[in-house]
Amino acid sequence: MIRKALSIPSVRETLRIILAVLIALTLGFIITLVVSKDPIGAYNAFLTGPVSRLNRAGEWIKESITLTLLGLAVAMVFKANLFSIGQDGQMQLGALISGIVVLYVPLPGILRIPLALIAAGLVGYLWGLIPGLLKAHLNANEIVSTLMLTAIAGRFYEFVLVTYLKPPTAGYNVSAAFPPEGLLPSFIPPFMTDLYQLFTSKANITIMIYIAIALVFVTYFIMYRTPFGYELRMVGANMKVARYGGVNTKRTIALAMAVSGILAGLAGAHLTMGIHGRVITQITASLGFEGIVVALLARNNPLMVPIAALAYGYMRAGADIMERSSDVPREMVLVIQAIIILLVTAERILPMVQKAIAERRDAGPAQPAEAEAAKGE
Amino acid sequence: MSFDVVLRSILSAAFLASVLRISTPLILPALGGLLTDLSGAVNIALEGTMIVGAFTGVIVSAYTQSWILGVLAGIAAGVFISGVLAFFHLYLKTDVILAGIAINIISSGGTIFLLYMLTGDKGSTSSLASKVVPNIDLPIFQNIPFLDQVFSGHNIFVWLAFILTALTAVMLYRTRLGVHIRAVGENPTAAESVGINVRRTQLIAMLLSGFLASLGGMDLSMAYLNGFTRDMTAGRGFIALAAVYLGGRKPWGTLIAAMVFGLADALSNQFGSMNIPSQLVSMIPYAVTILALVVYAVRQRQVIIDRARKFQERHMAEVAEAKAAND
Repeated sequence: MIRKALSIPSVRETLRIILAVLIALTLGFIITLVVSKDPIGAYNAFLTGPVSRLNRAGEWIKESITLTLLGLAVAMVFKANLFSIGQDGQMQLGALISGIVVLYVPLPGILRIPLALIAAGLVGYLWGLIPGLLKAHLNANEIVSTLMLTAIAGRFYEFVLVTYLKPPTAGYNVSAAFPPEGLLPSFIPPFMTDLYQLFTSKANITIMIYIAIALVFVTYFIMYRTPFGYELRMVGANMKVARYGGVNTKRTIALAMAVSGILAGLAGAHLTMGIHGRVITQITASLGFEGIVVALLARNNPLMVPIAALAYGYMRAGADIMERSSDVPREMVLVIQAIIILLVTAERILPMVQKAIAERRDAGPAQPAEAEAAKGE
Repeated sequence: MSFDVVLRSILSAAFLASVLRISTPLILPALGGLLTDLSGAVNIALEGTMIVGAFTGVIVSAYTQSWILGVLAGIAAGVFISGVLAFFHLYLKTDVILAGIAINIISSGGTIFLLYMLTGDKGSTSSLASKVVPNIDLPIFQNIPFLDQVFSGHNIFVWLAFILTALTAVMLYRTRLGVHIRAVGENPTAAESVGINVRRTQLIAMLLSGFLASLGGMDLSMAYLNGFTRDMTAGRGFIALAAVYLGGRKPWGTLIAAMVFGLADALSNQFGSMNIPSQLVSMIPYAVTILALVVYAVRQRQVIIDRARKFQERHMAEVAEAKAAND
């Protein structure tokens, strides 16, 4: 029964990821044991912190929404075997343009918010299209080009923020606070008065949660139910075969990276309009490569991305709480995160473990397989 | 400040000397990036390797009160980190980009974690009395008016950057190992068929790149600045990677490209005093790198097309010859 379940690749993959997370968490606990005066308290804060209060849970959910969008963006390019790691830049530009629209376009909220979201998606699309075209038509290394474009986006972001958006009186490099017409509304409709008040005051989760969930299904649909998605997966599986099979690989590559940019741009809009309520300096700090972790944990499957994002967002939120309530710095979670990436991506670990088990079994006296073979003879 | 004043300060010896200093922590890791790139793997972990080298050098020098021991420990740490990357990439078949990202994350997080544990401060090692490496003045420049200012008062790492570029060039084009590294990167299957140990060659390239990146990191913490600050590499490992491509994947080209980045950095400091926004100036090298990437790709394609045409012409000539012989 168990062996049968284990022979299904997806079950094995899921098991492997859960195992990797558990190993990493155990190592995290060992580190805590070594460094902390109160390791149990610290690890308890890490593991249960995010659900201990409503406002903390709210932070966790908001973080997970950003991570979901980033994870979807990465899953799409990784599925096409493109190492586009420019999500951070796309996200920054998305945040910037959404801030500009919100601050300077005098429209009612019902028009201004969608306009800002569309602008953020569009700018992400364009910032993904550039390396996409370079890769598709010139075979320019997408890792380097996306890294460069991210660096450019980051500097442009700070330049516009400091030069144009920052009010002369502001002490920090931040824009003016967004007007109410520019903030995403709460995910609870206002007529449910009690809940509405509870959530807007304690854990202001916005309608972005619905948009994110919808985008999970849209991304899944695009990747698994459309010709483009089919071509994208074919390019990812084997570029030469795809080209030989008549796939317009150039178009697919450019489009995959551009569409992925839309999702990252929207993640940026969520940062400004859903979390901070203004454009702030270094808004994507520490989010740069997090989408990659989420996509890895979800094995590039869009439907698994929100689950991975929730799990991973939980870890990040827990680390923040642990830092505040104990003597263990939040960077411990970075160690856990790196170990998860290494364990999940090390393709040879499982075969090596299997081989080791098989060898041990070979050394043992009873051999069920051999006995059966002998019977057959 | 007027343009005139800025121009004069740019053309001064002190400015050129500062370009050399700013470029050094880019040149050293860029050489490392070049070696791994030529051997066929993009070493995105340069950033993490640098920060670990910078941290270890400072901590060990503070506790032993010896800059030599600090530097040696920093090198050991950098080589170890790249060894971890090599182990995962070459032996466990982890994708080198993802393993590199993991190394960067664990390096940034791990150094801050240890910093806090050792000093109780998450920002910097200002509470520790760490050592700096000594400066070296070359006597040959001493009596030349302008050059003595450009080339005086530089630390060991500045000189090492130039020496190691020369050594890298010699190693790549004049030694067996260099030929092996380039062959493995060009076509691993072909390299293997002539008896080159592909995995070992890539391992050596990666360890050397760890050595070079750790020197770049220590230049920041033990020469350029006195002490370690969290995330003090600030993306230099990625810029170094870009310098490899901007420099056309050649040692001296990489050095010049790294100095172009250093120059842009120094210029953006200067322009900050005029009304030219420093962020826009510091963008230029990245844009140039993308352009270089495009130019490189176009040229590469032209080479392939030319080769194909030559092959075709030769083939047609042979066919014509054979036909003539038959007639």
